[in-house]
Amino acid sequence: MIQVHHLCKSFHGRPAVNDLSFEAADGTITGLLGSNGAGKTTTLRMIAGVLQPDAGQVRIDGELRDPLGRQQRLGALLDHTGIYPRLTVRENLLYFGRLRGMAPGLLNERLASVIPALGLDRIAGRRTAGFSQGERMKTALGRALLHGPRNLLLDEPTNGLDVPTVRSLRDLLKRLRESGVCIVFSSHVLDEVRLLCDRVVVISNGALKAQGSAAGICALTGAASLEDAFVQLTAEGERSSC
Amino acid sequence: MLTPTLVVACKETIDALRDVRSLVSSLFYALMGPLVVGLVSAAGPPHSPNGAKVVVSMLSIFTLVAAFVGGMSIAMDTVAGERERHSLLPLLLNPVPRIDLLAGKWLAVSLFAIAGLLLNLAGSALVLVLAGIRVEASRPQVLLVMALVILPLPLLAASAQIAISTLCRALKEAQTYLSLLVFLPMALGMLVVFSPAPRPWCGFLPLVGQELQLQSLVSGTPVSAAQALLAAILTAAAAALILRFAAARLHRDEIVYGN
Repeated sequence: MIQVHHLCKSFHGRPAVNDLSFEAADGTITGLLGSNGAGKTTTLRMIAGVLQPDAGQVRIDGELRDPLGRQQRLGALLDHTGIYPRLTVRENLLYFGRLRGMAPGLLNERLASVIPALGLDRIAGRRTAGFSQGERMKTALGRALLHGPRNLLLDEPTNGLDVPTVRSLRDLLKRLRESGVCIVFSSHVLDEVRLLCDRVVVISNGALKAQGSAAGICALTGAASLEDAFVQLTAEGERSSC
Repeated sequence: MLTPTLVVACKETIDALRDVRSLVSSLFYALMGPLVVGLVSAAGPPHSPNGAKVVVSMLSIFTLVAAFVGGMSIAMDTVAGERERHSLLPLLLNPVPRIDLLAGKWLAVSLFAIAGLLLNLAGSALVLVLAGIRVEASRPQVLLVMALVILPLPLLAASAQIAISTLCRALKEAQTYLSLLVFLPMALGMLVVFSPAPRPWCGFLPLVGQELQLQSLVSGTPVSAAQALLAAILTAAAAALILRFAAARLHRDEIVYGN
């Protein structure tokens, strides 16, 4: 479970996240929905412990922890895949497993489970230089899932992926949700959010605009579709920022 | 089970060993001194005592420089390169203190810097033998003492290179500044060689102290063990301080947002 309370972050005096609060429960997929520059990535980076908030708190599984403590409970795939081109898929995963202090037995067990689950068997022994975007994404996802985290952060994970890869990623996220994992997923693709997310958190200019189920947000705004509701909720903030 | 620092050091070493092009360029860089001096000697054999002295002084400056070149490629790749390739953020997502991550990178860079230095010493000894210059530095036991005296330098070089690399956003930027850093040992080495009488406290300073001790060893003058040890301690302390500065840099927002 991830709970965000009154999170604030500014860069050079310009607020990027402004008093943002929301909660993501176990066994659900929570979508952070916002336009480009709305503050989704900054929020995820603060939850993941790589950026220090100016104010506010992040609780993971009900506990207030320091950034390293949060990182022990989290798996994250933020922004870019960032895999090592001169290492094989297996070596990339082994490196991060060892960094997390996983025992060799457990690490091999997890590799044997994660590699086939992501369809990486065929390329596990290949160096990742020259991989397609989909192959890089699957390797990076393997890195985020290797230690079996109960909380998962994904920042626009379907960017640049082809339709079959998006579908297999969607299926994987549904399986993780069924196993009780708390997933926070940022996107600006409304269809993706509608298809996948149990709860939606709409952000504009770093501030919370609405949260609830997709249907609930439509009802709240009186809009016929999530797209209309999103435009309605974010239009005011974006007009004022122009 | 390896500590996170050793895990990072092993990964960086394997990664760098697979980067064959960078390895070859580091090899040429480390052997630059013996190659240049070898060519000068071949052009006009320095049989006179003064000629031999010039050759040996040149070699000692290049040895000082060698401590800064062996790890240069890996130092720029391991921090600025990680930033450019967007792999630094996933690394920082692991529950490992940033100083431990950086210490692992420093170990790997130091390893390559020491390898460059030893290669240079071996090459220098070979050039002296081939040029027929009989000095202390061509004796194996003196070479060993020289290696020990100068050993803290690659550790300092690795720290400084990593610290500079944390200030850079891209490989090209890091390459520019790390290439400029090589002029520091060159300039200080020349200062020592051409200085008529360096002050006694200079022997304790990082770089200057090691160059003075190299000069003494080459010319057969005994080196004060206490002075060499104190210079080594001060050099190692400077390396640790610089590494601390670099680790603090990794906590800044722009490290994550810098590209």
